[in-house]
Amino acid sequence: MSSLTDRYVAATMRAVPAQRRLELAEELRGSIADMIDDRTAGGQDHASAEREVLTELGHPEKLAARYSDRTLQLIGPRYYLTWWRLLRLLLTWIPAIVGVLSGVTKALVDGEPGAAIGAAIVAAMQTAVQIAFWVTLVFAVLERTRTPLGLPEWTVDQLPEETRERQINHSDSIASVVFLLATIGLLIGQHFQRWTTDDGTRLPALDPALWSFWLPALIVVLLATVGLEIAKYRSGRWTWPLVAVNAVLNVAFAAPVLWLLATDRLLNPELVERFAWLRDGGTVEFARVAGAVVVLVAIWDVIDSAVKAGRAA
Amino acid sequence: MVSEEVLRTHLQELRRGTVVVASLVALRRPDYGYALLQRLAAHGFAVDANTLYPLLRRLEDQGLLTSEWNTEESRPRKFYRTSDDGESVLNRLLDDMTAVRTSVTDLIEGAER
Repeated sequence: MSSLTDRYVAATMRAVPAQRRLELAEELRGSIADMIDDRTAGGQDHASAEREVLTELGHPEKLAARYSDRTLQLIGPRYYLTWWRLLRLLLTWIPAIVGVLSGVTKALVDGEPGAAIGAAIVAAMQTAVQIAFWVTLVFAVLERTRTPLGLPEWTVDQLPEETRERQINHSDSIASVVFLLATIGLLIGQHFQRWTTDDGTRLPALDPALWSFWLPALIVVLLATVGLEIAKYRSGRWTWPLVAVNAVLNVAFAAPVLWLLATDRLLNPELVERFAWLRDGGTVEFARVAGAVVVLVAIWDVIDSAVKAGRAA
Repeated sequence: MVSEEVLRTHLQELRRGTVVVASLVALRRPDYGYALLQRLAAHGFAVDANTLYPLLRRLEDQGLLTSEWNTEESRPRKFYRTSDDGESVLNRLLDDMTAVRTSVTDLIEGAER
């Protein structure tokens, strides 16, 4: 059986460049022997002295890295900030865009609107993982080869003009926009996806007659809300005009929905016909619950925006 | 009272460059790794073996040390010696250490006034 020293030297040499292995191995072996001798001369037995010496020298790969002047970090301080900024920039937009695109493709080209949201989430996540992996890999290689990036030096002109902290952050805005676009997708999608009834016929959940006016109108309101999100992001915080626009948009969405629910015009009558529970007065209950949710969400959203505007002022 | 950890980090930072100076001075008389380690320790430079051995290799690569294998003793040992380049670098480093000490002394006296 080979000694601990042999194993230690072999483990260290595996991690140093081949051309200097032989000489390094001999020197390291000699140094270890010197250190052990020094301890055994003091009365210690050989085995425990060897253990002590090798423990003192530490992890072989760490020692090898010191010998070959190699870094023991994936991305060091030289590249870290560039890596992090690039990664954030790419992860903010690309997965969301890819997700929306593949969701839309699934719904419109493949004709499977029901699978669109799932497809969008999967595509977005895969894209995010791919971006993170490849960007990190490139920077890890740069770190190891110590390639100069030749980026311009930082100057004071790059300082953001904003000195107050942003109230509206990046990811919240993106999440809101994605949510709004998904809602629009859902309104359009339900018409094509259709609800499978007991007897196997497939029907839209909302009354197709609403397409003549109400559904397009609701979609326009949602698109206007996307515009509001963008305006809010650019201003960096809630302002009173934004709160006013937000309140108007909330009313413009909630009021028609409430009215349609109250007059029993939202759900597809053919669908109602086919479900015993809906037919026997279930629509009233549905209108109550859905109406309450719509009102609560709208009120909460308006109050929230007003509180935040008050805080930002 | 500051924590042991903080104190140790600062002392480490302060000592880091002095190991190179100490090695270049000590190796005006040729020596091998472990013997140098002990000599440095005896003079108050407690260096870890896993720091000193790679450092010697690096200084050799940089041309500040030359080396020679000595096979006369019980086991072959690699002896390092400060080269001419090493000597001139050492002189610059020693000048700088003196300058730092002078500056610190000035600063201390200035602050006392």
